[in-house]
Amino acid sequence: MRWRRILGHRFVAVPLAVAVLVAGWNIYIACNDGGIIEGEVRDRLGVPVAGATVIFFERNFIYYQEKQRTMTDARGAYRFDGMQVHVGQLEARAADGRHSERRQLRLWFRAQNADVAPLIVDTPRG
Amino acid sequence: MRRAPSWPRHAIMIVVSFLMLVPFYWVLKTSLTGENIYAYPPHVVPVDPHLFHYVDVWYLIPFPRYLLNSVIVTTMAICGNLLFNTAAGYALTKQFPGRRWVVLLFLSCMLIPFQATIIPAYLITSWLGVLNSYLGIALPLLSTIICIFIFKASFEAVPRSLIDAARVDGLSEWRIIVRIMLPLSKSAIATNVILTFIWSWNAFLWPLIVIRTPEMQTLPLGLARFLSVMEDTTGALFAFVVMVLVPGLTIFLMAQKEFIRGLTSGATKG
Repeated sequence: MRWRRILGHRFVAVPLAVAVLVAGWNIYIACNDGGIIEGEVRDRLGVPVAGATVIFFERNFIYYQEKQRTMTDARGAYRFDGMQVHVGQLEARAADGRHSERRQLRLWFRAQNADVAPLIVDTPRG
Repeated sequence: MRRAPSWPRHAIMIVVSFLMLVPFYWVLKTSLTGENIYAYPPHVVPVDPHLFHYVDVWYLIPFPRYLLNSVIVTTMAICGNLLFNTAAGYALTKQFPGRRWVVLLFLSCMLIPFQATIIPAYLITSWLGVLNSYLGIALPLLSTIICIFIFKASFEAVPRSLIDAARVDGLSEWRIIVRIMLPLSKSAIATNVILTFIWSWNAFLWPLIVIRTPEMQTLPLGLARFLSVMEDTTGALFAFVVMVLVPGLTIFLMAQKEFIRGLTSGATKG
């Protein structure tokens, strides 16, 4: 009974609640921080684009530079591994010169695993 | 006799509360939207709010380090305050030769602004060899005169017979403070903790002078550094401000009852 009263006191309950939230959030991060960013590249008709280059640009207040690039497979899928970033931009460049808009990618924590909506290549490269 | 209607009082309170809360709301809103504060017409309701500015702040500056430094310094200041102010406040409730002069000296020292004593304080800190350390940052706040008087006022309200009875039972002076005085002075303790927290958490000038390395910086210094290094970062800047404010606001909201009681009791008992 005494313990219940102590735990229910706002000077104990509030820091305890904050500690539980922080611990929960850190456990979630630990389970989802593989740094895997994956998605697909398609054209305007929804057909997967194989052999396209997907570039990840690290963009924040200090940097705006290419971080990593990869190629799409036969299904138009791509995957980045070990990305220690929380904000950046993705762009797909097809072999025939078409490219996608640069898409802003914002994550809730560094190295969060993310499944990105398909990048659409359609604009001929100027 | 008819009682005066209460609505004018409530209307005034609502207007005053609104005026006080609008800046907080605006800071919070800007931290969620990143909207330029000079944008015209301004959006009262947040447009497309998100929390990513907070994520940016967390990763782009060493926020956890600043937070840890602030927490360590503030904890040291609060512990030191409770220890030294309790002892000083209890001593001032005793009768001893020169007590009146000590009280007068304390009161007159309250009139001297900290900026005027900052060079001697720096020299003493340097002489002690604690520059660029947590103890050095916390040193000027380890005891504050206003809190000594809050404890003094609170201790003087404790019945003399209670202290005499404790002494008859064989309690030492320290045990009288710990077992009798402090349990009866919870409001004074809460006031002390909150005031010290606010002063230490917001301290800027003293940490700016004694800290020499970026990894020892506290949150207010981090905020100034953030402003000087980053540009065009309205949302992140306001997110940083909210993150600095939240711990202080939380502690105040948790302890506001004791805080107000402590301040008002200190005003009437002294």
